[in-house]
Amino acid sequence: MTNVTEARRKANGLLTASDSRLARFILAVGAIVVLVLLFRLFTNFDVFPESWDIGLADPIDRARRWLINNQTSHWLYTVFLNPITDVIDWGIRRLESILRWFPWYSYPLFTGVGLWWTRGRVAGVLGLASVSLIGVIDLWEESFATLALMGVSVLISMVIGIPLGIAAWRSDAVARVVRPTLDAMQTMPGFVYLIPFVLLFGVGRVPALISTVIFALAPVVRLTEVGLRTVPQVTVEASEMFGATERQTLRLVRLPQARPAIFAGMNQTTMLAMSMVVIAAFIGAGGLGQVVLRAMQSIEVGKASEAGIAIVIMAIVLDRFSTGIATADPGRDARPIKWLALAVSAVGIVGGLLGHNKFPESLNWQFAPYVDDATDWARDNLYDIGGSGIGTGPFSDFVTLEFVTPLRELLASDIPWPAMIGIGVVLGLWARGIRLAIGIGAALFAIGFLGMWALSMDTLAQTIVGVAITLIIGVPVGIMSSHNDLLRTALKPVLDFFQTIPSFVLLVPVITLFHVGRIPGIIASVIYALPAAVHYTDLGLRRVPAEIHEAAESFGATRGQRLRRVEMPLAAPELMVAVNQVIMLILAMVVIAGLVGGGGLGLEAVRGLRRSDAVGRGFEAGIAIVLLASILDRLTRAIADRLRPPAAV
Amino acid sequence: MDTASETVQVRVEGVWKVFGRKPREAREMAEAGATREKIQTATGSVVAVRDVSFHVDAGETFVVMGLSGSGKSTLIRCVSHLVAPTEGTVELCGTELTQADSAKLRQLRRQKMAMVFQHFGLFPHRKVVDNVAYGLEVQGVDRQDRQDRARELLDTVGLEGWGDHFPQQLSGGMQQRVGLARALAVDPEVLFFDEPFSALDPLIRRDMQDELIDLQMKLQRTLVFITHDFAEALKLADRIAIMNDGAFVQVGTPVEILTNPADDYVRAFTQDAPVAKVLQACSLMRPLDGAAVDPGWPRVSSTTPLEAALPHLLGSTSPVVVCDEDGPPVGLLHGDDVASVISENRL
Repeated sequence: MTNVTEARRKANGLLTASDSRLARFILAVGAIVVLVLLFRLFTNFDVFPESWDIGLADPIDRARRWLINNQTSHWLYTVFLNPITDVIDWGIRRLESILRWFPWYSYPLFTGVGLWWTRGRVAGVLGLASVSLIGVIDLWEESFATLALMGVSVLISMVIGIPLGIAAWRSDAVARVVRPTLDAMQTMPGFVYLIPFVLLFGVGRVPALISTVIFALAPVVRLTEVGLRTVPQVTVEASEMFGATERQTLRLVRLPQARPAIFAGMNQTTMLAMSMVVIAAFIGAGGLGQVVLRAMQSIEVGKASEAGIAIVIMAIVLDRFSTGIATADPGRDARPIKWLALAVSAVGIVGGLLGHNKFPESLNWQFAPYVDDATDWARDNLYDIGGSGIGTGPFSDFVTLEFVTPLRELLASDIPWPAMIGIGVVLGLWARGIRLAIGIGAALFAIGFLGMWALSMDTLAQTIVGVAITLIIGVPVGIMSSHNDLLRTALKPVLDFFQTIPSFVLLVPVITLFHVGRIPGIIASVIYALPAAVHYTDLGLRRVPAEIHEAAESFGATRGQRLRRVEMPLAAPELMVAVNQVIMLILAMVVIAGLVGGGGLGLEAVRGLRRSDAVGRGFEAGIAIVLLASILDRLTRAIADRLRPPAAV
Repeated sequence: MDTASETVQVRVEGVWKVFGRKPREAREMAEAGATREKIQTATGSVVAVRDVSFHVDAGETFVVMGLSGSGKSTLIRCVSHLVAPTEGTVELCGTELTQADSAKLRQLRRQKMAMVFQHFGLFPHRKVVDNVAYGLEVQGVDRQDRQDRARELLDTVGLEGWGDHFPQQLSGGMQQRVGLARALAVDPEVLFFDEPFSALDPLIRRDMQDELIDLQMKLQRTLVFITHDFAEALKLADRIAIMNDGAFVQVGTPVEILTNPADDYVRAFTQDAPVAKVLQACSLMRPLDGAAVDPGWPRVSSTTPLEAALPHLLGSTSPVVVCDEDGPPVGLLHGDDVASVISENRL
């Protein structure tokens, strides 16, 4: 009997592989338990020893002071950094003044006509109305500041990104450097990019722009490369056969065919830039982000909502525009739009010459007071409904006391730090191997040496709670949507909407209900990450081929059996990608939530950006965020790889 | 049919193409007679084309027929130099491509050759007319001239009025007409066809074949045509090369290949071939050698397909007299011979 089983196992490599995988998993869990018990029983290593803090903050602070003192004299500034600052600043100012020169009505008109053309009449009318709304709520001036910063950031991203994408496509050596760099850049919460540039440039629009460009660069580079790589070989051969030079082939055949991909990259870059420009209000980028930030600090929810809505409108309009351009049908007759564009331009120039550039005050109408009233009402009535112990307040307390705090204590002190590092190493070993294990161990030690152990565990606890809630809600919804086209169609616009909103803005509605603290951050992060959870679950399950469904059904599997035994295991790698995305999004948001009292690394980083004497600590927190993000990213991706069925030989 | 004529336009001598890191070892193994699989496991290299030589005369249609993986696609890419051969020489219109630098090669491509691709290879971002004009555009012909020429060619291939559409708005057959017009636009001396009709439906494929034959009658270009369809090869070719495992198995006219297949591999193809369409009266006739001719026997010309001679043979015991084009009888076609060829073919 045993021999038969043995033989069958040997015959079936897949079975053996999955069995040894299970064995390794059990071994890993066992090792972790033993590790924790050993350290608990025989040592008193609870918190990472403070004396091991290498004190990176001090030299950073010293450097910052030195930089401030030498800003006008040292060659680094006079020859290098100041000219950069001046040129970029000039560019932004110039663009802003050009944008301001046009009459106010040209913007709603332009948006309306553009969206009407690319997306239909309803979109056109909505575009016209919503852009006008920005003026109505008196945020016209601030919008220009944001738009100008956006414009220059996106432009610079294109100017750097497209040639870089071409270079990466042309040369494998370049690609080998560029690709992992981009991966790493995308892993990091955008927020941490601000820190080093503030250190170098001080606060203002220039560091905001530079960090925006770095944050937003990845998609356009990547998609330019992908677009060029996926140009059908036969069209390239055809071009060559006609005796085209390499340059002609690139210009006439490759780039035009890569255009949709490049535009898709531009769209993503634009959206990332939008979200970063808003966050960059932390370092004095001005514009709409600044309005949100100020209002949130003084808990003026109404004002914050107005600015939030303006940002959302701007983001959605930019998104619809750029996807509209990307997916435009080249076969469509473009004459009507040319005439319309000409007409709008004429109106714009005439109105500009007439000086109609201020949005008329008579049209102003603020809804902030109503939001404030609603917030007050919510605070009075929903926070603790009728003193019953039910409401948002008790809910916050419940989640905090039952989950977040215990988990934080578990991670930060109940599990001794060497055991934590051990867990990380074992997980790395299980998921991929010795290199990942060493990497995780080193990163965790580094977090300790930076003196960020406790704060990191705080952030990690918030992240874990956020991820758990997101998956508990998101995965079932994704499963349902994968089986139900109607639900999927209904969800799509909602998911699209939430993915378009710059992360920072999500904090606004949440603090109206939950005040400040860790909970609003977690809830905002759940909202932020839910679309990804639903989308990737749905995608993963839908990728299971129809014939496999049919095969399962033909054996008489029930729906539940099919889901558990067939679909979920096959979709497991995609689901793990969902988990990976969710973790990264939650972490990014939890960090930003430092602003609304989220605590942990985010708070430290926020402080570092706001107070010049805290830059050093902020820098350390930033590095810790990067390390934490990298650990979580690599680990979840390694697990996703493990779950993939063995590739065909 | 007459191959010993005029100038040679394409001359291929001892061409090898080996993909992979160890071309020399792979070649040595191939020369020693090893199969492709064996070579691949031993060296990791794939011998796609092994020691192929042929020549194509001006105005001739040379068809390379082989199954997928036989190396025919690589061969045509070696000949057109889209892929550099590992060894051997390719001479086109008197210039050795293997020696030419990239500028010289470009010039040759602009002036002497063009290619029609299996999946059309049209540029999806350009209108039909701009697709056809592409070859002229890279040569620097100005816009008006190249557009005029392109529209002229669209008329030739029966696509007048479609110039302002995009390729993907056209059916497969129409797309390949665009591909053909694009190749003809540069007025090439040599045209390469890489399985141009294999992606089309059978009926459309037949139309395109007929049209190509008509065009070739008018234009008299040198064609190198790749196909995996033996019937297509028989229909279009002046001469056919049967390719297997990277090498030519047999080269000959359709009749030679049908009546005298070199080995079992070739014979396997001839089994299903439309023999009665391809073979002509002269290919099966017995020479007259002064034998008497009954004036009552039916007469056919020597180029009549067997198909057309069959009615005369059925229900009659007498042979058919095969006459030369000028009229005098040259041979006799016997019902038994025809029957044996056709029945053997059907078995």
